[in-house]
Amino acid sequence: TATRAQPGPLGRAGRAGSAALATGGAASAKGPGRPGQLQDETLGVASVPSQWRGVQGIRGETKSCQTAGIATAEASAQARSHADAQVQTEAPVPVSTLPPSRLDTARLAAFLRRVEAMVIRELNKNWQSHAFDGFEVNWTEQQQTVSCLHTLCYPPAQGQGLHVTSISWNTTGSVVACAYGRLDDGDWSTLKSFVCAWNLDRRGLNPRQPSAVVEAPSAVLCLAFHPTQPSHIAGGLYSGEVLVWDMSRPEDPLLWRTGLTDDTHTDPVYQVVWLPEPRQSHRFQVLSVATDGKVLLWQGGGAGRLQLTEGFALVVQQLPRSTKLKKPPRGETEVGATAVAFSSFDPSLFVLGTEGGFPVKCSLAAEEAALTRMPSSVPLRAPAQFTFSPHGGPIYSVSCSPFHRNLFLSAGTDGHVHLYSMLQAQPLISLQLSYKYLFAVRWSPVRPLVFAAASGEGDVRLFDLQKSSQKPTISIKQTEDGSPVYCLEFNSQQTQLLAAGDAKGTVKVWQLSTEFTEQGPRETEDLDQLAAEVAT
Amino acid sequence: MGGRPSRSPARSPLPHLRPIAPGLGEPQAEVEETLKRIQSHKGVIGNMVVNAEGIPIRTTLDNSTTVQYAGLLHQLTTKARSTVRDIDPQNDLTFLRIRSKKHEIMVAPDKEYLLIVIQNPCE
Repeated sequence: TATRAQPGPLGRAGRAGSAALATGGAASAKGPGRPGQLQDETLGVASVPSQWRGVQGIRGETKSCQTAGIATAEASAQARSHADAQVQTEAPVPVSTLPPSRLDTARLAAFLRRVEAMVIRELNKNWQSHAFDGFEVNWTEQQQTVSCLHTLCYPPAQGQGLHVTSISWNTTGSVVACAYGRLDDGDWSTLKSFVCAWNLDRRGLNPRQPSAVVEAPSAVLCLAFHPTQPSHIAGGLYSGEVLVWDMSRPEDPLLWRTGLTDDTHTDPVYQVVWLPEPRQSHRFQVLSVATDGKVLLWQGGGAGRLQLTEGFALVVQQLPRSTKLKKPPRGETEVGATAVAFSSFDPSLFVLGTEGGFPVKCSLAAEEAALTRMPSSVPLRAPAQFTFSPHGGPIYSVSCSPFHRNLFLSAGTDGHVHLYSMLQAQPLISLQLSYKYLFAVRWSPVRPLVFAAASGEGDVRLFDLQKSSQKPTISIKQTEDGSPVYCLEFNSQQTQLLAAGDAKGTVKVWQLSTEFTEQGPRETEDLDQLAAEVAT
Repeated sequence: MGGRPSRSPARSPLPHLRPIAPGLGEPQAEVEETLKRIQSHKGVIGNMVVNAEGIPIRTTLDNSTTVQYAGLLHQLTTKARSTVRDIDPQNDLTFLRIRSKKHEIMVAPDKEYLLIVIQNPCE
């Protein structure tokens, strides 16, 4: 059959490389109505050379492969199973001084003979030398002023008008937790309260968004972080319960609770403290102190319950008569405890601050049974060993010195801070720090002569007994309108930080100047001297 | 007289083995006296003798503090000695003093022992 090249759109002449069309052939199929004759014709070949492709490449396709396919199959594995037979490390033997019988004492004596003269000479020179008088080295950047690092708050709690009742730093010093409640409510309100924690080391810290929030059924009045677990925290409630939460579990933070049993406190719990267990010092139990006069020791048991292991009750008739106390109203036998502090030197010795305004020295090892009719599953003991001379009003806070075994501070509603020695009933120093109440007092963990107090006038007052024994060294204004500061805590890991919580619901983290964080050369001796001013 | 050789004056047949139990012999008393003298000096908080391996032999402080001081100062003394000898091979360390805010630590080094004294100089 012949191919017909149709003229028409291809008939554009004059374009380079345009096809040379062979046209030809009779136009035999033109128009209807004309019977055309079909003729056989051979026409030329029409070729259209490509405008874009130069040379046609070789096209190839795979037909067959000469190498045979490799067949693989798993035959066996070379790894052997093994079991531990023995460990090569030995338990470390504590290095101690060698027993003298194994020495060559003659050589030792010869050595000492050789060096003694030189050492004595240097000791004498040192004692008389003034070479280093007034010489101080600055290792860290000096911070001259006290500045506010963070202002933390939780708007839903502030919206309900809740106060910050308690603050605690965790064991690593990077998380600060605060409890929201109300300190001036006298009724058994069922206002929900919160425990909020902020991780200050986290980047992108939002001061209005705590990293963890836990709701509590009743106002939380006190908090204490676990001494070794960074996320466990215990809290005491207005209802008398003690709860332990794990702040790292947002979906179910409650670990243990005392529940409302016969053993639970019947009055608000004002302070909780973690104590090491007597036999296993890596496990801890919780001590709670309430105004019903009971001091209770709880241990986490099964099923999320806190079991009572030991209990003490403060009864007026069993208080030692070291000082003359006001006669209590008839019918009241319990002495309400509002604050507790443990001695850092003797773990069984603690000081209780009471509603009557007098601190009481107590011991966990007391044996005498308490004369109380309060029901309890564990026999209650009377812990009091010594009573100190009272303040003019209830005590809100006590703190034992971390540097001296006999000194402790107490502060209360009379606006005075008393420095007591365990050896005598009268205070060594009595300072009026405020014309309103004092809500918290804490010794500094690094400077033996420094303490801080939270006042009802809205200030945090820092006292340096080395500089002045009359007036505070620094008074930091926390609230603008003078609403009280209820709690404060030093950070024992990052010693320049001090956190304080106030009645407006904010927690401020203050960075202290270097003068409050660096120990001077003779501070411990000065403290000893202060403690020795006990009247004989 | 007989040809018997005179015996040397009475000595133990194996002189290099000493009795185990320490009597209060001369060297022992002298060691205690010297250390007591040093301890009673003005301002001295404590002293200790450490052997060449860094193990404390005598001390007036409690065990854990002693072990800490001994280990750390032994290393520091070795480093100080090598520093001095690197700068001048003919030189050697005779005494090392570290002054800190709270007190001064003095180390008298020797081939076999170290004497460490901690003093609180009057400010």
